Amino acid sequence: MSDAHSNPPSSAALLSSKGEIKVWLTATGLSVGLFMVIGLLLLITWNGLSVFWPQPVSEFTLTSQKDGAPEKIAGIITKNQTRRSAATGQAIEEIQVFTGNRDAYGLAFRFLDQSSLASTSLPADYIVAERSEYGKAIFTPVRLEFSPTQSLLASDPTFFPELHRLVKEGNARRTEITTLEKHEIGAVNARIDKLEIRLRKADSTAEDRAPLEQELAQLRSEYATLATQAATLRDRQKVEKLVYRLASGEERNQAVAEIIHFYQPNQLTLGGRFKIFLHHAIAFLTEEPREANTEGGIFPAIFGTFVMTLLMAALVTPLGIIAAIYLHEYAKPGIMLQSIRICVNNLAGVPSIVFGVFGLGFFVYGVGGYIDHGPAYPLPERWWFLASLGAVISLVLALLLTLKYSPTQALQPKSKARSFAENSLWITTALLTLLTLAKCPYFHGFFSDKLPSPTFGTGGILWASITLSLMTLPVVIVATEEALSAVPRGVREAALACGASKWQMIQRIALPGALPGVMTGIILAMARGAGEVAPLMITGVVKLAPSLPLDGIAPFIHAERKFMHLGFHIFDLGFQSPDSEAAKPMVFATTLLLIFLVVVLNLTAIQIRSHLRRKLQASAF
Amino acid sequence: MLPMQSAESPDPLRDPAAPPRSPSPVPERFTVSKGVLRLDRFMTYVILVGGIGIIAAVFGIFVFIGSVIWPLFQSPTLTPLRELPLATSGTTLVGLDERSELPYSYDGSADLHFHSASSNLSQPLGLEPGTQITFWRQDRLNDRILLGTQDGRVGFVDISFTAKQSSPTAPRSVTGSLKLAPWLTLNNPAPVESLDYASQGERKLFGAIVNAPEGPKLLVVGQRQKKGLMGAGKLEATPPEDLTPLLAGARPIRVLLPGTADAIVVQTQTNELLYLFRAPSGWEVRQQIKPFADIDTDITVMDFLYGDVSLVLGDSKGNVRILSLNVPPGSDRRLFAETQRLKPLDTPIRHFVASRRNKSFVVAGDTQCALCYATTGTVRSILELPYTVRSLCLDAKAEHLGIVDSNGTLHLNTVHDPHPEAGWRTFFGKIWYEGYSEPKWEWQSTGGTDDFEPKLSLVPLIIGSIKGTLYAMLFAVPIALLAAIYTSQFLSASVKRIVKPAMEIMASLPSVVLGFLAALWLAPLIETKVPSILLLVLSIPLSAMIAGSIWIRVPLHQRNRLPRGAEFWLLAPLMAALGYLAWLSGPALESLLFVANLPDGSQIADFRLWWPQFTGLPYDQRNCLVVGFMMGFAVIPVIFTIAEDALSNVPPALTSAAEALGASRWQVVRTVVLPIASAGIFSALMIGLGRAVGETMIVVMATGNTPVVDAAGRLLFGDPGLGGGLFPLADHWNIFSGMRTLSANIAVELPEAAQGSTHYRTLFLGAFALFLMTFVLNTAAELLRQRLREKFKIV
Repeated sequence: MSDAHSNPPSSAALLSSKGEIKVWLTATGLSVGLFMVIGLLLLITWNGLSVFWPQPVSEFTLTSQKDGAPEKIAGIITKNQTRRSAATGQAIEEIQVFTGNRDAYGLAFRFLDQSSLASTSLPADYIVAERSEYGKAIFTPVRLEFSPTQSLLASDPTFFPELHRLVKEGNARRTEITTLEKHEIGAVNARIDKLEIRLRKADSTAEDRAPLEQELAQLRSEYATLATQAATLRDRQKVEKLVYRLASGEERNQAVAEIIHFYQPNQLTLGGRFKIFLHHAIAFLTEEPREANTEGGIFPAIFGTFVMTLLMAALVTPLGIIAAIYLHEYAKPGIMLQSIRICVNNLAGVPSIVFGVFGLGFFVYGVGGYIDHGPAYPLPERWWFLASLGAVISLVLALLLTLKYSPTQALQPKSKARSFAENSLWITTALLTLLTLAKCPYFHGFFSDKLPSPTFGTGGILWASITLSLMTLPVVIVATEEALSAVPRGVREAALACGASKWQMIQRIALPGALPGVMTGIILAMARGAGEVAPLMITGVVKLAPSLPLDGIAPFIHAERKFMHLGFHIFDLGFQSPDSEAAKPMVFATTLLLIFLVVVLNLTAIQIRSHLRRKLQASAF
Repeated sequence: MLPMQSAESPDPLRDPAAPPRSPSPVPERFTVSKGVLRLDRFMTYVILVGGIGIIAAVFGIFVFIGSVIWPLFQSPTLTPLRELPLATSGTTLVGLDERSELPYSYDGSADLHFHSASSNLSQPLGLEPGTQITFWRQDRLNDRILLGTQDGRVGFVDISFTAKQSSPTAPRSVTGSLKLAPWLTLNNPAPVESLDYASQGERKLFGAIVNAPEGPKLLVVGQRQKKGLMGAGKLEATPPEDLTPLLAGARPIRVLLPGTADAIVVQTQTNELLYLFRAPSGWEVRQQIKPFADIDTDITVMDFLYGDVSLVLGDSKGNVRILSLNVPPGSDRRLFAETQRLKPLDTPIRHFVASRRNKSFVVAGDTQCALCYATTGTVRSILELPYTVRSLCLDAKAEHLGIVDSNGTLHLNTVHDPHPEAGWRTFFGKIWYEGYSEPKWEWQSTGGTDDFEPKLSLVPLIIGSIKGTLYAMLFAVPIALLAAIYTSQFLSASVKRIVKPAMEIMASLPSVVLGFLAALWLAPLIETKVPSILLLVLSIPLSAMIAGSIWIRVPLHQRNRLPRGAEFWLLAPLMAALGYLAWLSGPALESLLFVANLPDGSQIADFRLWWPQFTGLPYDQRNCLVVGFMMGFAVIPVIFTIAEDALSNVPPALTSAAEALGASRWQVVRTVVLPIASAGIFSALMIGLGRAVGETMIVVMATGNTPVVDAAGRLLFGDPGLGGGLFPLADHWNIFSGMRTLSANIAVELPEAAQGSTHYRTLFLGAFALFLMTFVLNTAAELLRQRLREKFKIV
């Protein structure tokens, strides 16, 4: 239909060339737009992927002298740029070099003027090693020290197999330590915490306390055993040492077990590079972050984003569909409905930060605070009793009015007065019930024993998900409604004519027909939710969450926990890390992942939608 | 319900146990099972309740945010708490303890009286016999009474309270105790008429007026605390100084010392104020000012506000004015200047008491009492009293106000004014803050000291939002509209199917990603390349013109061989080439045009230095150019999609008619398509505007987040000012500086704002403003679009 008028223009249209230049001018708009989007995607893809690619290590010999010999620096070139000298205004060519070895140099990057370089070489024996502390190291190996007396020189042919074996052992031990400290000690700690709260609450009678204290003592000894076990393992990690030499000639040593991974970039074949690339990419996706998020992986952020988005989708789907069905199938058409529709539509354009503000004020402080410590301003007891009594009475009346029909009445439309009375009774019941719940003077919260540290009264994954689901609700409502109205009237009427009840028609005809449209809405909502950061910043995202929102400690789902998020990870790394230059590769890699996620979700939605449109166009004729 | 149901079972709810009735007209196989009907009814209720509930909840957002900001605009309430008869009728000074449980009163005798609910207790000050107190007043910050005697001695008595409570539920019992400080002599055995005391670290100073036989004298006497090994050492008095000569014959009647203990404010009988300052060389008159010069009146009340920077003056005609210390332009000293005039009261001002936690204060006349806030210069609440006021007092938290009437009864009132600093004037008006040389719009919500005044003007933030939006729209609108026109009118359908989703993908890019790229990639990249950007902007239309003019010279039959929408493919490489050329030739332009003079006389071609020199405006690395460009990614697709839809929906009959009449394809667009789609395009622009106004993360990351004011404000609110540089009104619309927007401000400050504080509620007000702005924009756009749709229906 929409293509009907876009037939190729007849040659007559081109007879006159008036304004042809302006046509070309309009083409620039499209060109610039496409350049922008393609350029941006390419930029992110290139930068994001090159983070994982093993780059060669160059050794620079400088013209300056240090300790009588020319100064040498080894590192990976990260940038070529022109700088303007502050003194003379001359343009100076310089390179930025990633030197690593933050423990030795203090900084991981160095700028070198091209003119200060005497020579550059690519020695084959450089090793790039990722360590559990101080980031990457770039060095040439000297020897392995198994004990103060026993060592293995780097020139020995068994050196590298031995190094590989030790690194592997170290990694295995590190996993063991993590399991011990995070899971087993964590579980014991959680039990100790619970017991301590019970002890605090228990009255001071001795027979009450004795079993609790006994259990506590047992748990403490369990804790001590586990802690010594972990400490032994940690000490074991430090036994073998790798002695290495920096480009400057300085010799240092490093516990081999603290090396996570190493490679010799200047000896790699293309296949070898690919292998390292894959290894880096997988580590990035599956590992925990290290060194204030600038090293390691982003698994918790991926997991947090995933859980938050799923939770949001699970909340927004039923709500959005119910609201859309109401608007489209049940509400009486008229100006009122039209204006509600416009308002819902426009909510999609309200800035996300406004939803965040609402989420913080209402969910976190309001509902969360209520769950923690009960109502802030409870009703006086007498009034509360009156309110609850009122709620019960009005509920009974409403039920009586609604359910009590004489057989003949059931088919008649209700009289105006009666439906008004019914509606107002139901509304009264709802309001009074809300009031009695929200202002109950006998409820002092589920987590009052943990106060003043809040449990639900602070940002968390649950509140963030609810806030985002409210934000994306209009998207789902609009998409669902659109899809519902695209289900042809004829099919609906046929169903009704065959004797289907209204709900049967909706359930079996309208909703299945609208399913692709609903899916589109949900996917778009998920894409928007996954990429949104501003409302999360104030409702529960943190830069480093100590534990995941799902884990093995009862009750397994910790909806009150703070969580990590890909988008916030980008914000935090790029803007709040002490060394944003060092964090940049991580940010680009995270950005690539987030963009990939969002673009894939959106493309899916666009695909479904265009497929749906074509189907509808076909069915319309 | 639906009519079809009448064809079904006539009574689905009939009791199955009922006796059989005449055979139904509907055969058994056509009746609907009860389960189906029950489910239908149940789902109807679920959907009704759910749907209405969800929609109500969504609009509840509006209500909730409104309920949070509502208290900001509420006036304070003063509710009577209790009354307490004081023992003596001659009471002139009352004070309250922390919870107003044990008020005290003093009348110049040798005893101080504590008044609990049940009893009155007199406690001697501990004066030696024969001492006669001639002047007494309450210290501004502490529970302390300053005393001056008949024989020219000064001192003070400290009052301390101890509360005892045997169990959490038992009533508290509060007792007061007194501690008289050692007297200091003024070396002038004459009655003290006025007295003040200030203490700043180890420097302590009394200022007093004594009524000596030869005439009133202004005297100061200081104390210096010796530093001992065991903490604070002994106080050592310095000899009194006579400052009367500095007054040049004027008769002093009242003296005040600011907390810095290095200055004195003296009120003379001629209603002038003298501001004396202790310079290193000795005392000097720094300023002589007549606060009520324009009216013939007497100053009746003079005292400092919390922070000791502002003076409150009341006169016998009910006027209240506030003078604040600030450094006026062209001076290097802090001087008093009138900053606020309050709405006059009906009665002469006779009593004053200042809050000890913020800038609010209470003034009272005979039967009127007004609660005021100094920063905004507003009378927040006026109390008409059925009795005559004799004395006022406030407790340390400013929660209780005590008023003593002429019968000696203390009326205790609860003051509830949680947000005195809020109000329309604060949020949108210019306010003369303490220490500023002129009234300003300013946002600065938190400060380092206790007596910091929060500056909560939303104007700089709104201006920041408008500024960011403006530059984003400036960049996005041409590109989006040109692209929409081209895509809808000249592009072939098959290409369009790829191009449209590609542009829609742009809309899905998370703003945090755009912000990150803006700040860490784009900002450093273009910091030194502004001339290149300028050339690039020029090169794009240039490339179109070159391509277009070559194109019209190509013979028609060859042109027609090219498929529809091919211009685009021809243009793209040309544009890329020209753009690259422009990028490279940027430095050449820079050395040609943007040459800055260095302080040492040499010249350097650097736009970053040239811009401030030429315009007098700053150049930031993270500036509006960067924000505008990156916001373009967010705004372009929104405008593009809606405008493209509007343009595509122009009825083909109209365009065909125009073509049939011989219009060229551009003429069709200009004369037929654009006018018809104009409403749709306009609504696209409005929705784009709404998106740009609310954008948060890009702005948070890519701007300096400095709240901008002033020139912009002047421009908007018509107060012609004097900015600097060549373009006096442009300093805050400067494209090369940063700004802070409403949305960014919320994201940055809300996590730190205490729940329920004025700051917190003001941030909610900002959110509400954003909500309203975007909602109105979007609704207007939607209404426009609907009208457009109806118009097409008729066509």
